[in-house]
Amino acid sequence: MKGFVAIVAGCLWAGGFAHAADEMPLPSWEPEVRKEMLADGWLAGADLLEGQSDDGLVLEPPNPEEISGDDTAVIEVPEEFLDAYFAARPEKFLIDPQGLLSEHEFRERLEFLDYHAGDSSIDLFVYLFQGDQEIPSEVRKDELAERFFSAGQPAAIVFYYLGAPQRSALFLSPSLTDAISASEQNRALESSVIQGGEKANPAEQLDRFLVQMSIRTYWMERKAGGQAMTSDGTREATALAVTPEVTAAKPMKFEALRQKLTEFAVPAVLLLVAFLGALGLRLWHRSRARYRFPDFEVEPRLGGRHAAGIGAVISFVNATQPPASQRDQMPDYLQRARPPSIG
Amino acid sequence: MKCPRCVQRIHRAAESCPHCGFTLADADAVFGHEEVRIKCLTDCAGILRRHDRERVEAAMEKISRRFPQVFVAIYTGSLGELTNLRQFGFWLLNRAAFEDVPVEKPNEAGILITIDPESKAAGIVFGYLLDPFLEESDTFDCLSRGHAYWLEERYADGIQRVLAHLDGILAKRSRQARRDPEPFERKVLPPVQTADLVRRIRLGHRRGVSSKSGETEVPR
Repeated sequence: MKGFVAIVAGCLWAGGFAHAADEMPLPSWEPEVRKEMLADGWLAGADLLEGQSDDGLVLEPPNPEEISGDDTAVIEVPEEFLDAYFAARPEKFLIDPQGLLSEHEFRERLEFLDYHAGDSSIDLFVYLFQGDQEIPSEVRKDELAERFFSAGQPAAIVFYYLGAPQRSALFLSPSLTDAISASEQNRALESSVIQGGEKANPAEQLDRFLVQMSIRTYWMERKAGGQAMTSDGTREATALAVTPEVTAAKPMKFEALRQKLTEFAVPAVLLLVAFLGALGLRLWHRSRARYRFPDFEVEPRLGGRHAAGIGAVISFVNATQPPASQRDQMPDYLQRARPPSIG
Repeated sequence: MKCPRCVQRIHRAAESCPHCGFTLADADAVFGHEEVRIKCLTDCAGILRRHDRERVEAAMEKISRRFPQVFVAIYTGSLGELTNLRQFGFWLLNRAAFEDVPVEKPNEAGILITIDPESKAAGIVFGYLLDPFLEESDTFDCLSRGHAYWLEERYADGIQRVLAHLDGILAKRSRQARRDPEPFERKVLPPVQTADLVRRIRLGHRRGVSSKSGETEVPR
Protein backbone atom coordinates (compact mmCIF):
# COMPACT_ATOMS: atom_id res chain seq x y z
CA MET A 1 0.00 0.00 0.00
CA LYS A 2 2.80 2.38 0.97
CA GLY A 3 4.60 1.62 -2.29
CA PHE A 4 1.56 2.56 -4.28
CA VAL A 5 1.22 5.92 -2.48
CA ALA A 6 4.88 6.73 -3.15
CA ILE A 7 4.51 5.96 -6.88
CA VAL A 8 1.46 8.23 -7.13
CA ALA A 9 3.20 11.09 -5.27
CA GLY A 10 6.24 10.77 -7.56
CA CYS A 11 4.03 10.97 -10.66
CA LEU A 12 2.28 14.08 -9.40
CA TRP A 13 5.64 15.76 -8.58
CA ALA A 14 6.97 14.95 -12.05
CA GLY A 15 3.78 16.24 -13.66
CA GLY A 16 4.11 19.55 -11.78
CA PHE A 17 7.63 20.08 -13.20
CA ALA A 18 6.33 19.40 -16.72
CA HIS A 19 3.58 21.92 -16.23
CA ALA A 20 5.93 24.60 -14.94
CA ALA A 21 7.98 24.27 -18.08
CA ASP A 22 5.15 25.96 -19.98
CA GLU A 23 5.53 29.66 -18.87
CA MET A 24 2.48 31.28 -17.45
CA PRO A 25 1.34 34.46 -19.27
CA LEU A 26 2.26 37.76 -17.59
CA PRO A 27 -0.56 39.75 -16.09
CA SER A 28 -1.83 42.59 -18.25
CA TRP A 29 -3.79 45.74 -17.63
CA GLU A 30 -7.36 46.11 -18.63
CA PRO A 31 -7.48 48.97 -21.22
CA GLU A 32 -9.79 51.15 -19.03
CA VAL A 33 -7.76 50.71 -15.89
CA ARG A 34 -4.60 51.38 -17.79
CA LYS A 35 -5.90 54.65 -19.11
CA GLU A 36 -6.89 55.73 -15.60
CA MET A 37 -3.54 54.92 -14.26
CA LEU A 38 -1.80 56.72 -17.07
CA ALA A 39 -3.95 59.69 -16.35
CA ASP A 40 -2.45 59.75 -12.86
CA GLY A 41 0.96 59.96 -14.52
CA TRP A 42 2.50 56.67 -13.39
CA LEU A 43 1.80 53.10 -14.35
CA ALA A 44 3.02 50.65 -11.78
CA GLY A 45 5.07 47.79 -13.21
CA ALA A 46 5.02 49.26 -16.70
CA ASP A 47 8.79 48.71 -17.18
CA LEU A 48 8.56 45.13 -16.06
CA LEU A 49 5.23 44.05 -17.43
CA GLU A 50 5.04 45.92 -20.66
CA GLY A 51 8.55 45.03 -21.93
CA GLN A 52 9.77 48.54 -22.28
CA SER A 53 13.27 48.84 -23.65
CA ASP A 54 16.14 49.88 -21.24
CA ASP A 55 18.32 51.26 -23.95
CA GLY A 56 18.43 54.63 -22.20
CA LEU A 57 19.96 53.10 -19.08
CA VAL A 58 23.81 52.86 -19.45
CA LEU A 59 25.77 51.25 -16.69
CA GLU A 60 29.40 52.23 -16.16
CA PRO A 61 31.84 49.33 -16.30
CA PRO A 62 33.58 48.53 -12.96
CA ASN A 63 37.01 50.02 -12.52
CA PRO A 64 40.09 47.90 -11.59
CA GLU A 65 39.85 48.82 -7.92
CA GLU A 66 36.24 47.63 -7.80
CA ILE A 67 37.21 44.40 -9.50
CA SER A 68 40.14 43.79 -7.09
CA GLY A 69 37.97 44.67 -4.11
CA ASP A 70 40.35 47.41 -2.92
CA ASP A 71 38.24 50.42 -2.24
CA THR A 72 41.17 52.67 -1.23
CA ALA A 73 42.01 55.09 -3.86
CA VAL A 74 45.70 55.26 -4.82
CA ILE A 75 47.31 58.51 -5.79
CA GLU A 76 50.58 58.72 -7.55
CA VAL A 77 53.36 60.79 -6.11
CA PRO A 78 53.05 64.20 -7.72
CA GLU A 79 55.45 64.64 -10.55
CA GLU A 80 56.90 67.82 -9.11
CA PHE A 81 58.47 65.83 -6.27
CA LEU A 82 59.89 63.02 -8.32
CA ASP A 83 63.19 64.74 -8.94
CA ALA A 84 63.59 65.55 -5.28
CA TYR A 85 63.05 61.90 -4.51
CA PHE A 86 64.76 60.03 -7.28
CA ALA A 87 67.09 62.33 -9.23
CA ALA A 88 70.25 61.69 -7.22
CA ARG A 89 71.65 60.03 -4.17
CA PRO A 90 70.10 61.81 -1.19
CA GLU A 91 72.28 63.92 0.99
CA LYS A 92 70.20 63.32 4.09
CA PHE A 93 69.09 60.04 5.51
CA LEU A 94 65.45 61.09 5.65
CA ILE A 95 63.90 62.15 2.33
CA ASP A 96 60.61 64.01 2.69
CA PRO A 97 60.26 66.61 -0.06
CA GLN A 98 56.47 66.61 0.33
CA GLY A 99 56.79 67.80 3.93
CA LEU A 100 54.69 64.98 5.30
CA LEU A 101 56.29 65.37 8.72
CA SER A 102 56.29 68.52 10.74
CA GLU A 103 59.60 70.26 11.06
CA HIS A 104 60.07 69.05 14.58
CA GLU A 105 59.19 65.48 13.72
CA PHE A 106 61.45 65.55 10.70
CA ARG A 107 64.37 66.85 12.74
CA GLU A 108 63.95 64.22 15.40
CA ARG A 109 63.84 61.33 12.94
CA LEU A 110 66.75 62.71 11.02
CA GLU A 111 68.79 62.98 14.20
CA PHE A 112 68.06 59.37 14.94
CA LEU A 113 69.14 58.32 11.46
CA ASP A 114 72.31 60.40 11.77
CA TYR A 115 73.04 58.72 15.08
CA HIS A 116 72.48 55.34 13.48
CA ALA A 117 74.86 56.22 10.67
CA GLY A 118 77.52 57.12 13.18
CA ASP A 119 77.04 53.91 15.11
CA SER A 120 76.54 51.45 12.30
CA SER A 121 78.51 50.63 9.23
CA ILE A 122 75.30 50.36 7.20
CA ASP A 123 73.53 53.66 6.54
CA LEU A 124 69.76 53.76 6.66
CA PHE A 125 68.02 55.94 4.02
CA VAL A 126 64.28 56.44 4.44
CA TYR A 127 62.06 57.78 1.64
CA LEU A 128 58.77 59.07 3.01
CA PHE A 129 55.50 58.87 1.09
CA GLN A 130 51.87 59.25 2.00
CA GLY A 131 50.09 56.12 3.03
CA ASP A 132 47.90 56.14 -0.12
CA GLN A 133 50.57 57.24 -2.54
CA GLU A 134 51.99 55.13 -5.29
CA ILE A 135 55.42 55.54 -6.82
CA PRO A 136 55.00 56.06 -10.56
CA SER A 137 55.87 53.08 -12.62
CA GLU A 138 58.46 54.99 -14.61
CA VAL A 139 60.54 55.22 -11.46
CA ARG A 140 62.22 51.86 -11.32
CA LYS A 141 62.69 51.66 -7.61
CA ASP A 142 64.34 48.24 -7.82
CA GLU A 143 67.25 49.82 -9.68
CA LEU A 144 67.44 52.81 -7.38
CA ALA A 145 69.77 51.09 -4.93
CA GLU A 146 72.05 50.00 -7.72
CA ARG A 147 72.10 53.43 -9.33
CA PHE A 148 72.82 55.56 -6.29
CA PHE A 149 74.16 53.28 -3.60
CA SER A 150 76.70 51.12 -5.40
CA ALA A 151 79.48 53.42 -4.34
CA GLY A 152 80.33 54.54 -0.86
CA GLN A 153 79.06 53.29 2.42
CA PRO A 154 76.78 50.24 2.34
CA ALA A 155 73.18 51.29 2.76
CA ALA A 156 69.70 50.00 3.46
CA ILE A 157 67.00 51.95 1.61
CA VAL A 158 63.46 51.99 2.92
CA PHE A 159 60.36 53.31 1.12
CA TYR A 160 58.09 54.12 4.00
CA TYR A 161 54.42 55.03 3.60
CA LEU A 162 53.32 57.25 6.44
CA GLY A 163 50.41 55.69 8.30
CA ALA A 164 50.69 52.47 6.31
CA PRO A 165 53.93 50.81 7.45
CA GLN A 166 52.76 47.50 6.00
CA ARG A 167 53.38 48.93 2.52
CA SER A 168 57.05 49.60 3.27
CA ALA A 169 59.74 48.22 1.03
CA LEU A 170 63.40 47.52 1.78
CA PHE A 171 66.30 47.55 -0.66
CA LEU A 172 69.97 46.97 0.06
CA SER A 173 72.96 48.40 -1.71
CA PRO A 174 74.70 45.90 -4.02
CA SER A 175 77.58 45.46 -1.59
CA LEU A 176 75.18 43.89 0.89
CA THR A 177 72.87 41.85 -1.26
CA ASP A 178 75.34 38.99 -1.55
CA ALA A 179 75.83 38.73 2.16
CA ILE A 180 72.25 39.28 3.30
CA SER A 181 69.72 36.82 1.97
CA ALA A 182 66.27 37.84 0.77
CA SER A 183 64.67 35.96 3.64
CA GLU A 184 66.81 37.88 6.09
CA GLN A 185 65.73 41.14 4.48
CA ASN A 186 62.09 40.08 4.67
CA ARG A 187 62.43 39.20 8.34
CA ALA A 188 63.96 42.60 9.05
CA LEU A 189 61.16 44.37 7.25
CA GLU A 190 58.42 42.27 8.84
CA SER A 191 59.68 42.81 12.35
CA SER A 192 59.96 46.55 11.73
CA VAL A 193 56.44 46.68 10.33
CA ILE A 194 55.12 44.79 13.34
CA GLN A 195 56.85 47.20 15.68
CA GLY A 196 55.51 50.18 13.78
CA GLY A 197 52.00 48.74 13.71
CA GLU A 198 51.87 48.72 17.48
CA LYS A 199 51.34 52.48 17.47
CA ALA A 200 48.35 54.38 16.13
CA ASN A 201 49.98 57.73 15.47
CA PRO A 202 51.77 57.75 12.08
CA ALA A 203 54.79 59.66 13.44
CA GLU A 204 55.13 57.25 16.34
CA GLN A 205 54.74 54.36 13.92
CA LEU A 206 57.67 55.72 11.98
CA ASP A 207 59.67 56.05 15.20
CA ARG A 208 59.14 52.43 16.17
CA PHE A 209 59.74 51.29 12.64
CA LEU A 210 63.07 53.11 12.43
CA VAL A 211 64.29 51.86 15.81
CA GLN A 212 63.55 48.28 14.89
CA MET A 213 65.07 48.66 11.46
CA SER A 214 68.18 50.10 13.04
CA ILE A 215 68.43 47.06 15.30
CA ARG A 216 67.94 44.71 12.39
CA THR A 217 70.58 46.57 10.45
CA TYR A 218 73.01 45.77 13.24
CA TRP A 219 72.23 42.07 12.80
CA MET A 220 72.66 42.42 9.08
CA GLU A 221 76.04 43.90 9.80
CA ARG A 222 76.91 40.91 11.95
CA LYS A 223 75.53 38.56 9.33
CA ALA A 224 77.72 40.14 6.72
CA GLY A 225 80.58 39.03 8.95
CA GLY A 226 82.49 42.23 8.72
CA GLN A 227 82.80 41.84 4.97
CA ALA A 228 81.08 43.87 2.33
CA MET A 229 81.60 44.62 -1.27
CA THR A 230 82.92 47.99 -2.26
CA SER A 231 82.16 49.83 -5.43
CA ASP A 232 85.05 48.32 -7.33
CA GLY A 233 83.86 44.84 -6.43
CA THR A 234 86.78 43.88 -4.24
CA ARG A 235 86.06 42.30 -0.92
CA GLU A 236 87.67 44.13 1.92
CA ALA A 237 88.49 42.56 5.22
CA THR A 238 86.40 45.20 6.89
CA ALA A 239 84.36 47.26 4.50
CA LEU A 240 82.67 48.88 7.41
CA ALA A 241 83.81 52.42 7.28
CA VAL A 242 83.48 53.04 10.98
CA THR A 243 85.53 50.12 12.10
CA PRO A 244 88.84 50.54 10.29
CA GLU A 245 90.20 52.90 12.91
CA VAL A 246 89.21 50.55 15.65
CA THR A 247 90.49 47.47 13.92
CA ALA A 248 93.67 49.21 12.95
CA ALA A 249 94.27 50.34 16.51
CA LYS A 250 94.06 46.87 17.96
CA PRO A 251 96.97 45.39 16.01
CA MET A 252 99.04 48.43 16.92
CA LYS A 253 98.16 47.97 20.55
CA PHE A 254 99.19 44.34 20.65
CA GLU A 255 102.04 44.62 18.25
CA ALA A 256 104.47 45.80 20.92
CA LEU A 257 103.39 43.01 23.22
CA ARG A 258 103.72 40.46 20.45
CA GLN A 259 107.20 41.69 19.59
CA LYS A 260 108.23 41.50 23.20
CA LEU A 261 106.85 38.01 23.48
CA THR A 262 108.70 36.83 20.41
CA GLU A 263 111.84 38.47 21.68
CA PHE A 264 111.71 36.74 25.03
CA ALA A 265 109.94 33.57 23.96
CA VAL A 266 113.02 31.57 23.10
CA PRO A 267 114.99 32.43 26.25
CA ALA A 268 111.89 31.87 28.36
CA VAL A 269 111.24 28.48 26.84
CA LEU A 270 114.88 27.53 27.22
CA LEU A 271 114.82 28.66 30.83
CA LEU A 272 111.68 26.68 31.50
CA VAL A 273 113.09 23.58 29.88
CA ALA A 274 116.29 23.97 31.85
CA PHE A 275 114.33 24.40 35.06
CA LEU A 276 112.14 21.39 34.40
CA GLY A 277 115.20 19.39 33.42
CA ALA A 278 116.99 20.35 36.60
CA LEU A 279 113.93 19.50 38.62
CA GLY A 280 113.58 16.13 36.95
CA LEU A 281 117.26 15.43 37.39
CA ARG A 282 117.05 16.31 41.04
CA LEU A 283 114.05 14.06 41.56
CA TRP A 284 115.74 11.23 39.72
CA HIS A 285 118.88 11.75 41.71
CA ARG A 286 116.92 11.73 44.95
CA SER A 287 115.11 8.58 44.02
CA ARG A 288 118.43 6.87 43.45
CA ALA A 289 120.19 8.49 46.36
CA ARG A 290 121.60 6.39 49.15
CA TYR A 291 121.41 7.82 52.63
CA ARG A 292 123.82 6.99 55.37
CA PHE A 293 123.79 7.87 59.03
CA PRO A 294 126.83 8.70 61.12
CA ASP A 295 127.56 5.86 63.45
CA PHE A 296 127.70 7.34 66.93
CA GLU A 297 128.66 5.44 70.02
CA VAL A 298 125.50 4.82 71.99
CA GLU A 299 125.64 3.33 75.42
CA PRO A 300 123.13 0.51 75.94
CA ARG A 301 120.10 1.19 78.08
CA LEU A 302 117.81 -0.96 80.16
CA GLY A 303 119.99 -3.97 79.48
CA GLY A 304 119.15 -4.09 75.81
CA ARG A 305 122.15 -4.95 73.62
CA HIS A 306 120.66 -3.83 70.32
CA ALA A 307 117.78 -1.48 70.92
CA ALA A 308 116.03 0.65 73.47
CA GLY A 309 114.50 3.21 71.14
CA ILE A 310 110.92 3.09 72.23
CA GLY A 311 108.69 4.70 69.67
CA ALA A 312 105.00 5.45 69.71
CA VAL A 313 102.13 3.03 70.16
CA ILE A 314 98.80 3.82 68.55
CA SER A 315 95.37 2.24 68.84
CA PHE A 316 93.03 1.95 65.89
CA VAL A 317 89.85 1.10 67.71
CA ASN A 318 87.75 4.21 67.23
CA ALA A 319 87.02 5.53 63.76
CA THR A 320 85.47 8.73 65.05
CA GLN A 321 88.47 9.96 67.01
CA PRO A 322 91.70 11.27 65.52
CA PRO A 323 94.92 9.28 65.84
CA ALA A 324 96.32 11.78 68.35
CA SER A 325 93.61 10.93 70.84
CA GLN A 326 94.31 7.24 70.36
CA ARG A 327 97.99 7.55 71.05
CA ASP A 328 98.91 5.13 73.75
CA GLN A 329 100.84 6.96 76.48
CA MET A 330 99.48 4.93 79.33
CA PRO A 331 101.95 3.25 81.68
CA ASP A 332 101.90 -0.46 81.62
CA TYR A 333 100.76 -0.93 85.20
CA LEU A 334 97.79 1.39 84.69
CA GLN A 335 96.67 -0.54 81.66
CA ARG A 336 96.62 -3.76 83.49
CA ALA A 337 94.78 -2.41 86.47
CA ARG A 338 91.25 -3.77 86.76
CA PRO A 339 88.48 -2.35 88.90
CA PRO A 340 88.04 -4.31 92.11
CA SER A 341 85.15 -6.68 92.05
CA ILE A 342 82.29 -5.53 94.20
CA GLY A 343 81.10 -8.03 96.74
CA MET B 1 113.98 8.12 75.46
CA LYS B 2 111.23 6.48 77.39
CA CYS B 3 110.80 3.42 79.48
CA PRO B 4 108.72 0.75 77.70
CA ARG B 5 106.82 -0.03 80.87
CA CYS B 6 106.10 3.24 82.66
CA VAL B 7 106.54 5.50 79.57
CA GLN B 8 108.57 7.96 81.66
CA ARG B 9 111.62 9.72 80.37
CA ILE B 10 114.91 8.06 81.18
CA HIS B 11 118.42 9.39 80.77
CA ARG B 12 120.97 8.04 78.33
CA ALA B 13 122.75 4.93 79.40
CA ALA B 14 120.29 4.20 82.20
CA GLU B 15 120.89 0.60 83.18
CA SER B 16 117.36 0.39 84.49
CA CYS B 17 114.39 2.72 84.56
CA PRO B 18 114.88 5.14 87.45
CA HIS B 19 111.09 5.29 87.87
CA CYS B 20 109.98 1.67 87.75
CA GLY B 21 113.25 -0.25 87.59
CA PHE B 22 112.39 -1.91 84.28
CA THR B 23 115.11 -3.79 82.38
CA LEU B 24 115.27 -6.29 79.57
CA ALA B 25 115.31 -8.99 82.20
CA ASP B 26 111.73 -8.10 83.10
CA ALA B 27 110.71 -8.51 79.49
CA ASP B 28 112.65 -11.77 79.31
CA ALA B 29 110.66 -13.01 82.25
CA VAL B 30 107.49 -12.49 80.25
CA PHE B 31 108.54 -13.46 76.74
CA GLY B 32 111.50 -15.74 77.30
CA HIS B 33 115.29 -15.63 77.47
CA GLU B 34 115.96 -17.51 74.28
CA GLU B 35 116.87 -15.95 70.96
CA VAL B 36 113.98 -16.00 68.45
CA ARG B 37 114.62 -16.77 64.78
CA ILE B 38 112.12 -14.97 62.56
CA LYS B 39 111.94 -13.35 59.15
CA CYS B 40 111.76 -9.64 58.57
CA LEU B 41 108.11 -9.95 57.62
CA THR B 42 106.46 -12.26 60.08
CA ASP B 43 102.69 -12.37 59.73
CA CYS B 44 101.68 -14.54 62.66
CA ALA B 45 98.24 -12.89 62.75
CA GLY B 46 97.62 -13.82 59.11
CA ILE B 47 96.37 -10.41 58.13
CA LEU B 48 98.36 -10.11 54.92
CA ARG B 49 97.41 -11.89 51.72
CA ARG B 50 99.98 -13.04 49.23
CA HIS B 51 99.61 -9.98 47.06
CA ASP B 52 99.72 -7.76 50.14
CA ARG B 53 102.92 -9.44 51.29
CA GLU B 54 104.57 -8.67 47.99
CA ARG B 55 103.65 -5.01 48.23
CA VAL B 56 104.83 -4.74 51.81
CA GLU B 57 108.09 -6.56 51.05
CA ALA B 58 108.72 -4.21 48.14
CA ALA B 59 108.28 -1.21 50.43
CA MET B 60 110.63 -2.75 53.00
CA GLU B 61 113.16 -3.53 50.29
CA LYS B 62 113.01 0.05 49.09
CA ILE B 63 114.02 1.36 52.51
CA SER B 64 116.83 -1.16 52.75
CA ARG B 65 118.08 -0.04 49.35
CA ARG B 66 117.91 3.68 50.05
CA PHE B 67 119.35 3.36 53.55
CA PRO B 68 122.01 0.68 53.24
CA GLN B 69 122.68 0.59 56.99
CA VAL B 70 119.05 0.14 57.97
CA PHE B 71 116.46 -2.62 57.68
CA VAL B 72 112.76 -2.77 58.51
CA ALA B 73 111.05 -5.70 60.21
CA ILE B 74 107.32 -6.17 60.61
CA TYR B 75 105.70 -8.49 63.08
CA THR B 76 101.95 -9.06 63.25
CA GLY B 77 100.48 -11.24 65.95
CA SER B 78 97.99 -11.48 68.73
CA LEU B 79 99.86 -10.77 71.90
CA GLY B 80 97.11 -11.46 74.39
CA GLU B 81 95.81 -9.47 77.28
CA LEU B 82 98.85 -9.62 79.48
CA THR B 83 101.27 -8.34 76.92
CA ASN B 84 102.29 -4.75 76.43
CA LEU B 85 103.09 -3.91 72.82
CA ARG B 86 105.87 -1.48 73.74
CA GLN B 87 107.64 -4.01 75.94
CA PHE B 88 107.15 -6.73 73.38
CA GLY B 89 108.73 -4.66 70.62
CA PHE B 90 111.65 -3.75 72.86
CA TRP B 91 112.16 -7.40 73.75
CA LEU B 92 111.78 -8.70 70.18
CA LEU B 93 114.28 -6.32 68.63
CA ASN B 94 116.82 -7.34 71.27
CA ARG B 95 116.18 -11.05 71.15
CA ALA B 96 115.29 -11.69 67.50
CA ALA B 97 117.65 -13.10 64.90
CA PHE B 98 116.31 -12.02 61.52
CA GLU B 99 117.06 -14.79 59.06
CA ASP B 100 116.80 -12.77 55.88
CA VAL B 101 118.84 -9.77 57.01
CA PRO B 102 122.49 -9.63 55.96
CA VAL B 103 125.01 -10.17 58.69
CA GLU B 104 126.45 -6.68 58.23
CA LYS B 105 123.15 -5.23 59.37
CA PRO B 106 122.85 -5.89 63.07
CA ASN B 107 119.67 -5.34 65.04
CA GLU B 108 121.02 -1.94 66.08
CA ALA B 109 120.07 -0.81 62.56
CA GLY B 110 116.60 -2.30 62.71
CA ILE B 111 113.20 -0.66 62.80
CA LEU B 112 110.54 -3.00 64.07
CA ILE B 113 106.85 -2.36 63.45
CA THR B 114 104.54 -4.46 65.56
CA ILE B 115 100.84 -4.81 64.81
CA ASP B 116 98.35 -6.58 67.03
CA PRO B 117 95.06 -6.84 65.08
CA GLU B 118 93.26 -8.34 68.07
CA SER B 119 93.89 -5.53 70.51
CA LYS B 120 94.00 -3.12 67.52
CA ALA B 121 97.29 -1.50 68.36
CA ALA B 122 100.53 -0.85 66.51
CA GLY B 123 103.95 0.31 67.70
CA ILE B 124 107.45 1.07 66.48
CA VAL B 125 110.77 0.28 68.10
CA PHE B 126 114.20 1.12 66.64
CA GLY B 127 117.80 0.18 67.30
CA TYR B 128 120.66 2.19 68.70
CA LEU B 129 121.92 3.28 65.28
CA LEU B 130 118.82 5.37 64.80
CA ASP B 131 118.62 6.52 68.41
CA PRO B 132 119.99 10.01 67.69
CA PHE B 133 117.90 10.48 64.55
CA LEU B 134 114.42 9.35 65.44
CA GLU B 135 112.11 10.81 68.03
CA GLU B 136 109.00 9.28 69.46
CA SER B 137 106.98 11.98 67.71
CA ASP B 138 108.46 10.88 64.37
CA THR B 139 107.29 7.34 64.90
CA PHE B 140 103.85 8.62 65.91
CA ASP B 141 103.64 10.61 62.67
CA CYS B 142 104.47 7.48 60.74
CA LEU B 143 101.85 5.40 62.54
CA SER B 144 99.26 8.11 62.04
CA ARG B 145 99.62 7.68 58.29
CA GLY B 146 98.48 4.09 58.56
CA HIS B 147 95.79 4.69 61.15
CA ALA B 148 92.88 5.27 58.73
CA TYR B 149 93.73 2.13 56.75
CA TRP B 150 94.09 -0.05 59.78
CA LEU B 151 90.70 1.09 61.00
CA GLU B 152 89.31 -0.48 57.82
CA GLU B 153 91.57 -3.53 58.26
CA ARG B 154 93.53 -2.61 55.15
CA TYR B 155 96.77 -3.52 56.88
CA ALA B 156 99.04 -3.66 53.83
CA ASP B 157 97.95 -0.22 52.68
CA GLY B 158 98.54 1.16 56.15
CA ILE B 159 102.02 -0.38 56.35
CA GLN B 160 102.89 1.06 52.95
CA ARG B 161 101.89 4.54 54.07
CA VAL B 162 103.87 4.18 57.27
CA LEU B 163 106.98 3.08 55.43
CA ALA B 164 106.64 5.85 52.84
CA HIS B 165 106.52 8.46 55.56
CA LEU B 166 109.36 6.80 57.44
CA ASP B 167 111.42 6.94 54.27
CA GLY B 168 110.89 10.70 54.08
CA ILE B 169 111.83 11.27 57.71
CA LEU B 170 114.95 9.15 57.50
CA ALA B 171 116.12 10.88 54.34
CA LYS B 172 115.61 14.28 55.93
CA ARG B 173 117.50 13.31 59.08
CA SER B 174 120.30 11.79 57.07
CA ARG B 175 120.75 15.03 55.12
CA GLN B 176 120.65 17.07 58.33
CA ALA B 177 123.20 14.79 59.98
CA ARG B 178 125.50 15.01 56.98
CA ARG B 179 125.39 18.82 57.07
CA ASP B 180 125.71 19.14 60.83
CA PRO B 181 126.15 15.95 62.84
CA GLU B 182 126.88 17.70 66.12
CA PRO B 183 123.30 18.14 67.38
CA PHE B 184 122.67 14.46 66.81
CA GLU B 185 125.89 13.46 68.46
CA ARG B 186 125.08 15.52 71.52
CA LYS B 187 121.94 13.49 72.00
CA VAL B 188 123.89 10.31 72.62
CA LEU B 189 127.00 11.62 74.36
CA PRO B 190 127.55 10.04 77.75
CA PRO B 191 126.36 12.26 80.61
CA VAL B 192 128.96 14.65 81.97
CA GLN B 193 130.54 13.39 85.20
CA THR B 194 131.23 15.72 88.14
CA ALA B 195 134.96 14.91 88.03
CA ASP B 196 135.10 16.12 84.44
CA LEU B 197 133.55 19.43 85.41
CA VAL B 198 136.15 20.00 88.20
CA ARG B 199 138.96 19.14 85.84
CA ARG B 200 137.73 21.69 83.26
CA ILE B 201 137.41 24.42 85.88
CA ARG B 202 140.96 23.80 87.15
CA LEU B 203 142.27 23.83 83.60
CA GLY B 204 140.62 27.17 83.02
CA HIS B 205 142.22 28.58 86.18
CA ARG B 206 145.65 27.39 85.16
CA ARG B 207 145.26 29.05 81.74
CA GLY B 208 144.31 32.34 83.38
CA VAL B 209 147.37 32.33 85.70
CA SER B 210 149.82 31.37 82.97
CA SER B 211 148.59 34.13 80.67
CA LYS B 212 148.99 36.71 83.48
CA SER B 213 152.57 35.61 84.33
CA GLY B 214 153.53 35.72 80.62
CA GLU B 215 154.20 32.00 80.35
CA THR B 216 153.73 30.35 77.05
CA GLU B 217 150.54 28.32 76.91
CA VAL B 218 151.20 24.69 76.28
CA PRO B 219 148.82 23.29 73.72
CA ARG B 220 146.90 20.24 74.90
